[in-house]
Amino acid sequence: MRYGMVIDLKRCIGCYGCHLVCKAENATPPGVFWARVLKREYGRYPNVRRLSVPLLCMQCQEPECEKVCPTGATQKRADGIVTVDASKCVGCRYCMMACPYNARYYHAKERYYFPETGGPTPFEAIGYQKHPPGTVSKCNFCLPRVGAGLEPACVANCMTKARYFGDLDDPYSEVSRLIRDKGGYQLQPELGTDPSVYYLPP
Amino acid sequence: MPVGEDVWIPSACSMCYSFCAIKVHRVDGRVVKIEGNPDSATGQGRLCPRGVSGMMLLYDPSRINAPLKRTNPEKGLDTDPGWQEISWEEALDTVSERLKQLRAEDPRKLLAVSSVSFRNDTIFPRLFANVFGSPNSWNSGAGNHCGNAEHLFGALLHSAWCKQPDTDYCNYLLNFGVPCGFGAYYTVPGMAQRMADARERGMKHVVIDPLLSPTAEKADEWVPIRPGTDGALALAMLNLLLNELKVYDASYLKRYTNGPYLIGDDGYYLRDEETGKPLVWDAGDHKAKPYDAPDSEEFVLEGEFSVYGYRGRTAFSLLKDGVKKYPPELVSQITTVPAATIYRLTQEFADAARIGSTITIQGHELPYRPVAVLYFKGAQGHKNALLNAMALELLTEMVGASNVPGGLLGQNSRCLGHPEMGKPSWSPKEGPDGLLVAAGGWPRMANVYPPRSVTPSDSMDLKGMIPTASGSSASTPLVMKEPKRFHMPYSIEFVLHMGANFPMTFGDPLKVADAFQGAFQVSSSLFLDEATYLADIVLPDTCYLERLSLDADWVASNAPGGEWCFHLRQPVVAPGGGRRSISEVILEIARRTGMEDEFYSLLNAYLDLEKPYALEAGQHYTWEEIVDRHYRAMFGDERGIAWFKKHGVLKWPKKVEEVYWKPFIKARVPIYFEWFKRAGEQVANLAQELGIADVIDTASFQPLPHWRPCPSYEESRPEYDLFAFYYRVPIQTFSGTYNNPWLDEASQIDPFTYHISINTQTARQKGIKDGDWVQVISAATGHSIRARARLTEGIHPEAMAMANCGGHWSRYLPLASQPEKGACFEWLVPLDWKHVDIPTLTQDLCVKVKVSRVEGP
Repeated sequence: MRYGMVIDLKRCIGCYGCHLVCKAENATPPGVFWARVLKREYGRYPNVRRLSVPLLCMQCQEPECEKVCPTGATQKRADGIVTVDASKCVGCRYCMMACPYNARYYHAKERYYFPETGGPTPFEAIGYQKHPPGTVSKCNFCLPRVGAGLEPACVANCMTKARYFGDLDDPYSEVSRLIRDKGGYQLQPELGTDPSVYYLPP
Repeated sequence: MPVGEDVWIPSACSMCYSFCAIKVHRVDGRVVKIEGNPDSATGQGRLCPRGVSGMMLLYDPSRINAPLKRTNPEKGLDTDPGWQEISWEEALDTVSERLKQLRAEDPRKLLAVSSVSFRNDTIFPRLFANVFGSPNSWNSGAGNHCGNAEHLFGALLHSAWCKQPDTDYCNYLLNFGVPCGFGAYYTVPGMAQRMADARERGMKHVVIDPLLSPTAEKADEWVPIRPGTDGALALAMLNLLLNELKVYDASYLKRYTNGPYLIGDDGYYLRDEETGKPLVWDAGDHKAKPYDAPDSEEFVLEGEFSVYGYRGRTAFSLLKDGVKKYPPELVSQITTVPAATIYRLTQEFADAARIGSTITIQGHELPYRPVAVLYFKGAQGHKNALLNAMALELLTEMVGASNVPGGLLGQNSRCLGHPEMGKPSWSPKEGPDGLLVAAGGWPRMANVYPPRSVTPSDSMDLKGMIPTASGSSASTPLVMKEPKRFHMPYSIEFVLHMGANFPMTFGDPLKVADAFQGAFQVSSSLFLDEATYLADIVLPDTCYLERLSLDADWVASNAPGGEWCFHLRQPVVAPGGGRRSISEVILEIARRTGMEDEFYSLLNAYLDLEKPYALEAGQHYTWEEIVDRHYRAMFGDERGIAWFKKHGVLKWPKKVEEVYWKPFIKARVPIYFEWFKRAGEQVANLAQELGIADVIDTASFQPLPHWRPCPSYEESRPEYDLFAFYYRVPIQTFSGTYNNPWLDEASQIDPFTYHISINTQTARQKGIKDGDWVQVISAATGHSIRARARLTEGIHPEAMAMANCGGHWSRYLPLASQPEKGACFEWLVPLDWKHVDIPTLTQDLCVKVKVSRVEGP
């Protein structure tokens, strides 16, 4: 069993829906983006294209972050999901330097989205219990959802149905089939990190 | 607070006007997640970026919690009103007493201002004004963003408020800058899925837009065009189709349009002496006959004939000859689109239309025309909105791709009702001169044909005088400013305003404010936004997660095709602080001003409430009872709001006759807009009579499309060298979402939303580097705005673009009013008659600007 994700760049419209539904699902604090979107332009007017690429933790099978973690807070589970145990994290941030995909965020101190009021909204009061200050965090494929048999929030909510989630070890799964049939690729494969997130060409 | 509570509540979103079905997760009384309702046929459990961010609106500490009155008598757009909290009792007393007085004096002095977009039940303030006795209501919330002319043609040609491509079958979509399927326009998540499906299926999507927008980014081809010239491009394509390629659907044009009607030299139909009906030429009998003569099978589409001694030419011939004025080489100079590209796009469009082919769907053999032309605000929001829109519409009509498989579909033109109740139901029908009359009933369409008579307008929007006007009216603030000039025997003294930030959505904010300054203004609002700077009393409204709404399931929440789907907006949490829903407050005001029975009577008419659901005089109904009766009247006794609260959505499959209704309805659509010509003459005469001919420019009331450039093309000062325009992004809705910290954060990360996009080469010539602060001065208003520049190859070199409507200045919106939160486009847009398209009362958004580098904000 190896959980993986396929993002079809032909369907993706770069709308930031993943970025925002991740905020809603995981209540990440200001400045922490477990899901995000990068945009890049190619060519010269009028022959120009722009590409939007959604990013998240690649859940590498050879995770650099795990190798450098001095406390064992970062672990790769048997199902391939890389997790951070906040209670073991000391906030040294080696993992952030090691991650080639900039997928990790350090949450220095409790901050709120409406700083002028000095306190959390009722939503944040509940949600920020999951984000102790002084620790590093990242996407975990919405582990609590996956545990409950649901897809990660960014997959379930994607407006264009550009994201697929499943077992990469199963050659008959939808994700394996898409990667095979539509030329799925990993980002920076030359680094040997073996990401579990694949992209289909735009 | 209920401890241990963990529930999901079905309701309806209101972060934009798509009003999608949602499910809200509430834990211990607090909202922790908003998802698309998976039972919804439209969104299928998916929501846009704004929809999932709703709790940051609900919990925004800047929300208003108590009624307020101003203490500073001086009003101004940046003058602090000096708010003082008052009780609801005091607020309602003050408002009711003033309204009673006003009604006794002259009820027309009341203006209701509302918004089409999120936050409020749009229709309620308008109904209140109506009962009160005032013809004055103004839909300003979408203001400059409204697709006025598009809605007019939506009603005339498609029996719908708006249109969508048939993504199930369309193979070639010519999209003039519409973010359909890209996080804006109508039915946001539903169309996002459908457009992605079409993309994967291989539909060719050509986007014509000055900007490499999020839509153009995903298109197969981006065709940059000079802003405001889309109508000219459509004219060249019509010319090529009709005169060079000779590709048009003759049998469609004969059967379903007024193409064969004979037009006299005076521009009007030649009519049958006996019946008064328009005549056509029968090639079999070699004589003219009424268009509906039973034995007329061989109508002639083209030619010139003599009838009663008059020359008659077919409408189609006049169109065909008329567009000869627009060869691609000439149009290329207007649009900057190379002539070769115009030829190629037209050829591709013609080939893809597959004229003559059919498809069988559920046993019905139907015309198969897998091409569509889509346009909205950008292409038509100009001085000559009517003519631009007409040219664009006629492309689809020429190939018969209107409301048939693969083509352009009116968004829910026809509903034959739930299989059990037969309700709700509406359908287009045949009207005077054999032309289509848009479906009435619910949801209501623009009521434009048969044409309203041209009379001196009793209302500030001048709609009484302009029968072609639908949608938002640019004239309201202009006439309010000088009512006597327009022979209004009264002026606006009381403004009842709900949730529309009109100084930030309707052109020159100073001029808008000036028009409103003299009136006593009561604003029901979520925030102390810019509009409330002009208010005397502010009432704290509920947001969509705190309210029960009358119409959560507007036409926009149903995508074409698939299933019908209706839902309810119910409160998910109790209103915070002292907030009250404006709908309930209006009922209370009606009670206090002795208008309750009249209000019920109007609601009965508007909502088609008949016995036993009709509201009875002498009774008192709660808001919940009224909404319940509306739902039961529509969906049957057992499906009141209790049913919807429990089940969330009611859905059933759409029929072929509903989605592809064209072959099933005997009604023609105009390709020659004869009545526009008559309306124009009548309007011109009336304007002359009233002494306002200097501002009522009737030159665009034409039966056939022409290219008329915007006034900004006459700008001769060389430093005003760029066209400025705005566009929509999926992470903001108009001006109303800018204080949402999640959307704000995403907008900061996005390279474009808070920046002004300028072509790299153009910027270099001006010494502007990426990230520099720039000042933009409008040639038309003289006002300036500032923002950081984003240099991009993805924009026309003669243009600069900005997203939505940022640049708030209310100090009560702490996030939105910070610098670097975009800029407000409206400062650039002139509010004067020269820049209004009179037939549609549309403001011209084509502005020339001077852009230069500056040191800071």
